[in-house]
Amino acid sequence: MATSSSARLERLALVGRLWPWLFLCALVAFFECWSQVRVGRSFIGSLYNVQAILLAASAPLMLAIGQTFVIITAGIDLSVGFIMGLAAVCVAQFLGLGGPGGLSLAITLVATVAICALPGWVNGMLIARLGVPAFIGTLGMYGVARGAGFLAAGSGMTVPVDHAGLAWIGTGWTPVVITGVLLAAMHFVLSQTRFGQYTYAIGGNQQSAARAGIDVRRHLVQVYMLSAAFAACGGILYTARYGAGAANAGESLLLDSIAAVVIGGASLFGGTGNLVGSLIGALIIAVIQFGLIFIDVNAFWQFIAVGAVIVLSVLIDQAKDKLGNAS
Amino acid sequence: MSQRRVLIRGALGAALAATLLAGAGPVRADANKPVIALLPGVVDPFYFTMRRGAEQAAKETGSELLFQIPKAWNTAEQVPILKALIAKHPDVLVIAPVDKTQLIQPLKEAADAGIKVITVDTFIGTGKYRTGAGNADFPYSYVASDNVEGGRIAAKALAKAVGDKGAVYIENNKPGISSTDQRMQGFQEEMKNHPDIKLLETQYNEDDANRAAAHVGAVLARTPDLAGIFAANTFSGKGAAAGVKNAGKTGAVKVVTFDAVPGIDADLKSGLVDIAVAQKPSEMGYMGVKYAADLARGKTVPALFGTGFVVMDKSNVDDPEVHKFIYSN
Repeated sequence: MATSSSARLERLALVGRLWPWLFLCALVAFFECWSQVRVGRSFIGSLYNVQAILLAASAPLMLAIGQTFVIITAGIDLSVGFIMGLAAVCVAQFLGLGGPGGLSLAITLVATVAICALPGWVNGMLIARLGVPAFIGTLGMYGVARGAGFLAAGSGMTVPVDHAGLAWIGTGWTPVVITGVLLAAMHFVLSQTRFGQYTYAIGGNQQSAARAGIDVRRHLVQVYMLSAAFAACGGILYTARYGAGAANAGESLLLDSIAAVVIGGASLFGGTGNLVGSLIGALIIAVIQFGLIFIDVNAFWQFIAVGAVIVLSVLIDQAKDKLGNAS
Repeated sequence: MSQRRVLIRGALGAALAATLLAGAGPVRADANKPVIALLPGVVDPFYFTMRRGAEQAAKETGSELLFQIPKAWNTAEQVPILKALIAKHPDVLVIAPVDKTQLIQPLKEAADAGIKVITVDTFIGTGKYRTGAGNADFPYSYVASDNVEGGRIAAKALAKAVGDKGAVYIENNKPGISSTDQRMQGFQEEMKNHPDIKLLETQYNEDDANRAAAHVGAVLARTPDLAGIFAANTFSGKGAAAGVKNAGKTGAVKVVTFDAVPGIDADLKSGLVDIAVAQKPSEMGYMGVKYAADLARGKTVPALFGTGFVVMDKSNVDDPEVHKFIYSN
């Protein structure tokens, strides 16, 4: 009896672990069937559709990479959307500096990421050194980065930029590839390096992490800087794709990025989560949003559908945790 | 067991939700029934009024109309929807682009895929299409109010209301949007003909009525004898009127608002708003879709169509010929 029951538990645990994958496959299968029957064309068999979905997923995913680290430490970073906007404007302004040609692309990108890591450093200092709750500290930075972005944009809120190199970064598959490479690199960092281990340890229990000799404050500052740096990368891709920087570039992406991390199985209480999960989460949101338009469903159902998926994913995770405790 | 039940129930729930979400018609290529997609800028009465005009034209021309709308005025919101619509391959796309620069590339993608593009209300590039100049002349037509003229009309009306003297300011959405930029331009140009009126710094509320109301309070604190406000779009107008009311300055500060949102008749009669310059979104939607159907059937259409304005005030708003231009959800 004991063996069959533990085998069943194992099977359930497997379903629990794999459910985001299964859900994504089920979604794609649903849209594919619908599309074949009612639209008369393949949904996922079209390269254009695949590219559009991956592009739509890559924007919030870029924010979600850093956000995953932050959420694993039991924090939250609400400032990423407007740090992304600040970066989008910085790129456009820097490339326009100093007359024709402006600054070189490499200098611009490095300067943008460096400038945008600064609000991340401030976030980290507020939270780790001064004990400000992450929600409040980053909410403050949300406003500061927003104002700074609009100021940097000057009189116009969108800053046009005409630069062949930057445009190349934003063309076709390039943003998807860049996001994928960064995701793979950070997945390695999170799962295989000491930096990743420390991140999980701090999220699991901050006191015991400190007792184990981890410099918790220093690590948290680094994690928030990392989050801001990825927001800056998101801003760079935005300006590259649309040929103009805008201070409100990431405004609508913040919640999608948090949703992706949560759907991917991270707990807001910290200690769990991984980047493959966040990837699946971002894909699920993008497939729902694209798919519902593709099958011609009223736009407002998209919000309801994504909201339902978030709640469902948390319920399943809780069920999974209970399962873990029982076995 | 209970865990499994949760999983099963979750899966059933998702399947059920998916079934409920279904309910839309098929889209198939048919030369006699052109498929036209309408993608406005943001959820508001103006665009829903536009949609009704579009639906009427779709019926009259025997076209199928697809409709999707972003929840916020934001490039990152509109472009993914645009890409999903491109995937559906409508014959013609009728769009109100949310930015005149950032939407060029995404719309070029639609044009390259063989989808003809018409812009309504807002434009890309310079708004001068089919000229062979620039990188944004590929749309076939721009159907909208002449917004520079609309700004002039508003300026003349406000100048008259304030007795041609005093300080006024413009409450606007945000820079970079072709329509509101042009209204501001027309307003500023016309105000040069009124040397005794002082034009204060423009305030940008990013389409947020609360923020517009707060601006009014702040401007009044600095300029207590403020004579008038030009609110350049729907939410600017709502906020400006609320701000004037909060300050107890109704009647003392004249408010000219662009657009005629539901309830504007009551606001005009109570004196909360003095003048409303109404556009004709229904006609924009109607002409946009009518041109789209013409294009799909191989006809040529004019590159520009102006839809005109209706100026509303206390004295004429009850006239049915004027009242019908108030927008509705």
